[in-house]
Amino acid sequence: MLFRFGSAILLAVAVSLVGIALEKESLKLKRQVSRQHYQLDVLVDAHAKMKLATQRAGSPRQVLNSMERGELGVETNQQPVSTNRREMPLLQWHLNHSSQQADDEN
Amino acid sequence: MVVLAWIVISGRLIFLQYIGHRQFAKVVARQQMYKEKIPARPGDILDRNGRLLATTIVSNSLYVVPQRLEDQKNVKAICEVLHLDLPHFRNRLKQNREKLFLWVKRRLSEQELQAIRGLDLSDDAWGFRQEYRRQYPQGALAAHALGLRDIDGKGQGGLEEAFDHLICGQDGHRFLIRDAHGRVIEVRNDSREAARNGETLVVTLDSIIQLYTERQLQAIIQEWQPKSACAIVMDVKTGEVLAMASAPTFNLNHPEAISESAWKNTAIASIYEPGSTLKPFIVAAALEKGLLEKYEEFDCEQGEYRMGKRLLHDHHSYGMLSVTDILVKSSNIGMAKIGERLTNPGLYESVMAFGFGQKTGIQLPGELTGIVRPLSSWNIYSTGSIPMGQEIAVTPIQLITAHVALANQGKLLNPRLIRDQIDHNYFPRSEEEPAQVRPMISTPIVSPEVADWLVRVPMTETVERGTGRKAQLEGYTVFGKTGTAQKPDPKTGKYSSQLHVSSFICGAPANDPRVLVLVVVNEPSVGENHYGGTIAGPPAAEILKKTLMYQRVPFDKSGQQPLERTARRQRNALR
Repeated sequence: MLFRFGSAILLAVAVSLVGIALEKESLKLKRQVSRQHYQLDVLVDAHAKMKLATQRAGSPRQVLNSMERGELGVETNQQPVSTNRREMPLLQWHLNHSSQQADDEN
Repeated sequence: MVVLAWIVISGRLIFLQYIGHRQFAKVVARQQMYKEKIPARPGDILDRNGRLLATTIVSNSLYVVPQRLEDQKNVKAICEVLHLDLPHFRNRLKQNREKLFLWVKRRLSEQELQAIRGLDLSDDAWGFRQEYRRQYPQGALAAHALGLRDIDGKGQGGLEEAFDHLICGQDGHRFLIRDAHGRVIEVRNDSREAARNGETLVVTLDSIIQLYTERQLQAIIQEWQPKSACAIVMDVKTGEVLAMASAPTFNLNHPEAISESAWKNTAIASIYEPGSTLKPFIVAAALEKGLLEKYEEFDCEQGEYRMGKRLLHDHHSYGMLSVTDILVKSSNIGMAKIGERLTNPGLYESVMAFGFGQKTGIQLPGELTGIVRPLSSWNIYSTGSIPMGQEIAVTPIQLITAHVALANQGKLLNPRLIRDQIDHNYFPRSEEEPAQVRPMISTPIVSPEVADWLVRVPMTETVERGTGRKAQLEGYTVFGKTGTAQKPDPKTGKYSSQLHVSSFICGAPANDPRVLVLVVVNEPSVGENHYGGTIAGPPAAEILKKTLMYQRVPFDKSGQQPLERTARRQRNALR
């Protein structure tokens, strides 16, 4: 009788413990999901800010005057670095040889 | 007595548990549950080559809880950092001292944010909220076409307003559980509805051509000091707008500095009498109807011609002029005689067929229809006035669209500003939800023979030996038409000899037109000579030249050197 009662108590405790463990695991996963949502938001914002900075730095208004005066030389690659349309075209710029030399000397 | 007390208590309990249960449960839920909005990120706007024209970043806005503001020692420092008026801010705090929320300044810059953080404000009374802030990396470029988003993120003017429903996206929400102090104790992600970020628009504008165009407009403003000016560059084959600029303009990143007069996009929202730039359409209609022969000659009456009670004049006295010469020399008398052949119904039909008096559907807010009076109110004056571009008011976008029809073998195209619509991650849209981009619609108006002849002969000769000589380019055969329209004097109500709208439309190469440029200058105030060919001609030609070289359009005149190496290199680099 005592054994049966003890077993029943143990079973109930075991089930409770497993339940608590599962609940904790569930909460942990929820926290991870929340954190990943947050990290994704942070990364998207960082990406937007960097994209803005690069586009601002390479905007035609910024560089056209310098190019027309011959102070800045740039050239595009013969083949695009990537055909991925999500990449901004201005990111594929690089300084031409003479400009790079001048930059190095400075 | 005791029984009565028990009855009262029981009655109250029954009321709380059964009768008022639903209402109280609602109150509890309202106090505990808080529906938080998850704002959607507005989509970007890209130019036709993928250059970023508008994007969105997160920025912090500072708020204060006036009720919890015990001392005001930091108020002065905050006002200094944020450039706020101290007495005004103190007054706001005083007026709202019982409130739990008051904006101090929204969308702080990075410098302002760092400075505020350095003040070490109390968390109880001061706080930040994150909001989206619209940024325009190209500054003032294409300001009127783009428009901007106001402090609440609503599109104002331009594409931002016209496509607000696509760009702004759809906000999501989630539920937060709060304790009695209002602190969040749980985020209910199970009932969360994610925000749907805004769509990214790819417009037909080209930043480089837009920049060239705006530079020329600025030069016009400096040299001629007009009331306003605008320019449009359009692709002849597709009707795509490559550049659209108005002056005065404004910097999209500083909306607080925009003057009232700068808001107007004169390219679509200003109307004026087109003057001689309308003449080719009347000739085209007369040729199309068989009322006129290409090589016919008209007596231009030595500069004076009576139509009913009205005496018409030409700028110079001409005798016999061919149809080509009537356009090249812009003879009003010659055009009036062509108008007499068409008669009023024919003239009305012609101007309506070319799209005047109705919106072009450019997909920008504020577009005007222009003015074409009902045929019933036309009279003998109209027969002489309409062919010379009077008694009718057009918008610049209508005029260039109609001229594109002539350059495009007589087919009228709908002007387009949207090239593509992609999702916020720059992926094309799925087939289930296709992009809402208007297709190109081509409507034949005049035969290709008539349109080609007008472009290749009279309009080309207008630039070679007529009123548009200042628009000649090395290497390209340019065609065009000048327009110098008198404006009514507000004092007398009659046409003024001082107030003009000077315009010039040109395109090239004449044998296979690729690009058309229209420049309209409203009320130039410097100098006496306000002819369209003098004021608007050279800048229009310069825009045309830069655009053709940038698009690497081959020269069509023999004996010319190939494109300059530097120009090619610049173009390559900027692609």
